[in-house]
Amino acid sequence: MTQTGRAPRVSPTAKPGKMPAAMVNRALPLAGLILFQALCWGIFVIDIGSDMVAQWPDIAFDWHVTPEIGATLGLLVAIGFEIGVLVRLLRRQASLEQGLRVAAGALAQIMEEYFRDWSLTPSEQDIAAFTIKGFSIAEIATLRGSAEGTVKTHLNAIYRKAGVSGRAQLVSLLVEDLLRFPEGSGSLLTGPVPTDVAGAGPIGKALP
Amino acid sequence: MKYYVWDPAIRVFHWGLVTAFAANALFTNPEARMHRWVGYGVAALIAFRLIWGLIGSQHARFADFPPSARESLGQIAEMATGRRHVHLGHSPLGGLMIYNLLVTLAAIAATGYMMTTLAYFGVDWVKELHEMLVSWAEISVVAHVVAVVAESRRLKVNLPAAMITGYKQVCNGVAVVERGPE
Repeated sequence: MTQTGRAPRVSPTAKPGKMPAAMVNRALPLAGLILFQALCWGIFVIDIGSDMVAQWPDIAFDWHVTPEIGATLGLLVAIGFEIGVLVRLLRRQASLEQGLRVAAGALAQIMEEYFRDWSLTPSEQDIAAFTIKGFSIAEIATLRGSAEGTVKTHLNAIYRKAGVSGRAQLVSLLVEDLLRFPEGSGSLLTGPVPTDVAGAGPIGKALP
Repeated sequence: MKYYVWDPAIRVFHWGLVTAFAANALFTNPEARMHRWVGYGVAALIAFRLIWGLIGSQHARFADFPPSARESLGQIAEMATGRRHVHLGHSPLGGLMIYNLLVTLAAIAATGYMMTTLAYFGVDWVKELHEMLVSWAEISVVAHVVAVVAESRRLKVNLPAAMITGYKQVCNGVAVVERGPE
């Protein structure tokens, strides 16, 4: 069943992880880079570790070691950063691939900022995105490979964190912002605050 | 729901390979005859697996887990979004690890055999390559075990138990998917 009366958007036999080729092209080099750097990191760690073992304790006073350890840690931070970018990229693509193309652009930006503000978990973000697009609980369960009860539990958590009573209010929250902030007007949270909600506190509390 | 996925040959192969690799990597003396015989055992197991990958049961076949960048990224996306589909056979990333381990262990067996031949006995690069490959295999094994534990927790399927009993026990309400050739 779909809410819009169009053909069903979710095939029960749909395989997960089918993303358009253009998206693979963007994520794949990044995944490859992460793998390559992780390998390099492993080799560096083994190298430094074996040096340490072989030349202990003299090596503790060797000024070569400190920058080596620093570089290794720097690489680790870079890998962590890249994994974060890849995860965000894949999350956005995972929404787009299932008919959420409308969510591209301004709405996607507003959604992401709200989700961060409400501290939604990855699962909750995924379900909230589907819900805003109008997917039914049964459809979301099929798409995520989980039971309907699980989706309902997540939805309740989403509504609680967002401080709304249900789907309609959740959607209206975003629509309101979309009307107020046309695309290109900058970030929602850092942009100018309209006078009617000024002083109302953080987003999500402007509603009665 | 219970799904029969790993045939007895696959399970014997898996645990046989675990035993043989652990024995040679950790316990046997590389100079000893025992090390060589265990190495031949590894070579025989790999050779069997290559054949079984063509004629074995459904999930044993290579056609059931073709290497796929798109599906691998899809699996990472599932982790990133908290979606959950249990692959009955090898998952896309799991399949990549299988190919990695098969190739690495075959190369270890090959370089190990070369060291027993007159032409390559005492040749430095063969020995170094053999040892480097063993290090790589050890890193891979650790990654494999960590990934199996992580995926077992994420999907709530006891994957090690499946490799013993042959059955994957999937929680109610969790969807399963088949891969197979595109």
